[in-house]
Amino acid sequence: MSEATKTDRRRFLLLAAGAAAWGIGDARAQSAEEIIAATDRVRNPGEPFRSTTTLIEYRSGKARSKTVLTVYVKEDKATGQFRNVVRYVDPPRDAGKLVLRTGNIMWFYDPSSKASVRVSAQQRLLGQAAIGDVIAVNLAKDYSGKLVGEGEIQDVERKPRTCWHLDLTAANDGATYSRIEYWVEKETSFPIRARFYADSGRLLKVAYYGKYQSLLGGMRPTETVIIDSVDSALVTTVGFADLRFQEIPETWFQREFLPRIGAE
Amino acid sequence: MARRSGALLLGVALIAASVAWAEENDDLDRIPVPDPSADTDDRPVTTGWRIYVEQALTLPRFRDGLVVPPPRQRHPDWQERLSLDARRTWSLDPQLKATYSGRLNLLAEDDGPFPERANFRHDFREGFLSWEPAAQDYLDLGRINLRSGVAIGFSPTDFFKTRAVVDRVSNDPSVLRENRLGTVMLRGLSVGESGAVTFAFAPSLAEPSPVYSGSLPSLDPMFDRTNADHRFLLKVNRDLIGDLSPELLLYRDGSRTRFGANVTHELGAGVIAYAEWAGGNRASLVEEADRYGRKTGTIPAAAPRILPGDRSERFFSDVSVGGSYTTDFKVMINLEYHYHGAGLSRQDWRNWIDIGGANAGAPAVTSQLWYLRSYALEQQEPLTRHTAFLSAEWSDAFVPGLKLAGLTSINLYDGSRLVQVTADYFWSDLWTFGVLAAASSGGSRSERGSSPQAHGVIFKAARYF
Repeated sequence: MSEATKTDRRRFLLLAAGAAAWGIGDARAQSAEEIIAATDRVRNPGEPFRSTTTLIEYRSGKARSKTVLTVYVKEDKATGQFRNVVRYVDPPRDAGKLVLRTGNIMWFYDPSSKASVRVSAQQRLLGQAAIGDVIAVNLAKDYSGKLVGEGEIQDVERKPRTCWHLDLTAANDGATYSRIEYWVEKETSFPIRARFYADSGRLLKVAYYGKYQSLLGGMRPTETVIIDSVDSALVTTVGFADLRFQEIPETWFQREFLPRIGAE
Repeated sequence: MARRSGALLLGVALIAASVAWAEENDDLDRIPVPDPSADTDDRPVTTGWRIYVEQALTLPRFRDGLVVPPPRQRHPDWQERLSLDARRTWSLDPQLKATYSGRLNLLAEDDGPFPERANFRHDFREGFLSWEPAAQDYLDLGRINLRSGVAIGFSPTDFFKTRAVVDRVSNDPSVLRENRLGTVMLRGLSVGESGAVTFAFAPSLAEPSPVYSGSLPSLDPMFDRTNADHRFLLKVNRDLIGDLSPELLLYRDGSRTRFGANVTHELGAGVIAYAEWAGGNRASLVEEADRYGRKTGTIPAAAPRILPGDRSERFFSDVSVGGSYTTDFKVMINLEYHYHGAGLSRQDWRNWIDIGGANAGAPAVTSQLWYLRSYALEQQEPLTRHTAFLSAEWSDAFVPGLKLAGLTSINLYDGSRLVQVTADYFWSDLWTFGVLAAASSGGSRSERGSSPQAHGVIFKAARYF
């Protein structure tokens, strides 16, 4: 049986279970778009900010490598989408490299070769993490959503959470994944779990959002655990620290300016 | 009946729910216990320098009995390079910064003299001051590596690439760009919310020098390679149409003007398409090489012209079109087609191999023919008009931390190709070990099959600080 067929069958069983066990009747009170927008507000404050993002790749439970990034985020008021500048801090062989995302366009700049190369959001960063996993995005802008159920799931600490279950489909080329299954806590709009799928329908990874803390004017997840569905030994944690509001000049989002963004 | 159906549906639902629950538990069971040591950074506080030491042992193998014998040169069995590579930017003032980038090399080869001055070489890549006289406006002065273009294999709008590469340690264009010399210039940049304008003026500081053969000078900035003519560039980036992010360029080199443009576009599903074009009046590669050889004294003024062909100047175009694709399995693939209008046509190539073969015992003829190829290599221009380029990079290949990369450049006239495969293993965040193997293949009368170097292997180790 092909992987895609297996995935489809699993999806059918999940949807059937969701519909039969919990019902979806009262889930229509809040639209999928509203739920996604609310959870976007949980993950990202409205003002420009920066964070230190640490990715640790675990293989068979052992930490194997680490990447530290500084991520600068500013919302484009015209489109409602976030623009990001990602600067590699560690390891030393990657230090100084930059990623710019503005609109649906993403550039990778390497100070060694002075080259700005256009990349896609699917481009790998570390372990199973793609660039699209660490930058701030408004899912409501990149995906169209559908509410498929509600019910109780376990969060990353195995605590039960009552969640909306949404099915998101890529709405533009800037979306990192073609499809996402997304679980959002009903009471708080906290994202709890997501499943990311390739164009082929193959399940790529599962992410759990946790370690919620009061930051930048709201409760926000400070860690995402990404569990690889292709390589069963691989898990990547993405930690967000040192979050603070910071004014970011518009010039930072021009690719010609990338060589001038240095360490602060 | 209805009751039985309901019970069946409930049963299916319960089984499905238990399957989903088991999968969820399986996911959660795989989450590792946090490793406190992974968060502990025991490295010294960053100094602002980006430094690494790299050693590279090269084992080349050469062909015998070439149709067109190249000029007699030493063919060492091994070459060793130990390099200290450093880069840093200092903030002298909120509006003033200074940048240095360079590499210090210790070189040795079998049967070569050691230690002598020629065993040491400093590649002064960049050294410039940056000043921000007004918000969003910048002026840079000094030796600057100005790179334009979006293609990987051949970048027609990368006008400052000519003669800039000093170490051909790889056939990978992105690696070659890592150790290329900047050009002494005054550069201005004005950045707006929807685009940027760049101008650059590079003055002539030295007389044009002959195409280099053999080892490079030891402690010499080599301005003769980068600043032998007055050069001017105007570049405009504007967010105009969709996600095309076009770049338009106007370039003047000596008395010639060239125009250029490049665009990129995401086709979706991890596919990026890109195209570059540059055009302007110039002579063919054959004619330009001949003129340059006579101007710099490599070809005697009275020597007859060896290759026939059009001597006039006319409008020539260079084009690079291609795309990149990232797979679900961490493999990134680039495929490009390169057109070099001034390059050798099929007939030009036949002339090269026929005349060279008929005069194999006449060094005055074969050295001129090989000079053409050396000139094209230094200019970073394809030798012939039509080339295909394919590269792929696979991260975490077979084992974590192993990156495999491969590229091939194929002459579309004769099918001959250059193939290179590299394997880099990231032993830790600070140590990288790698091996590179390259081979050229094709018939003895083909471009690649007529090259002196048949294959080569490089063993590398790098330590980052």
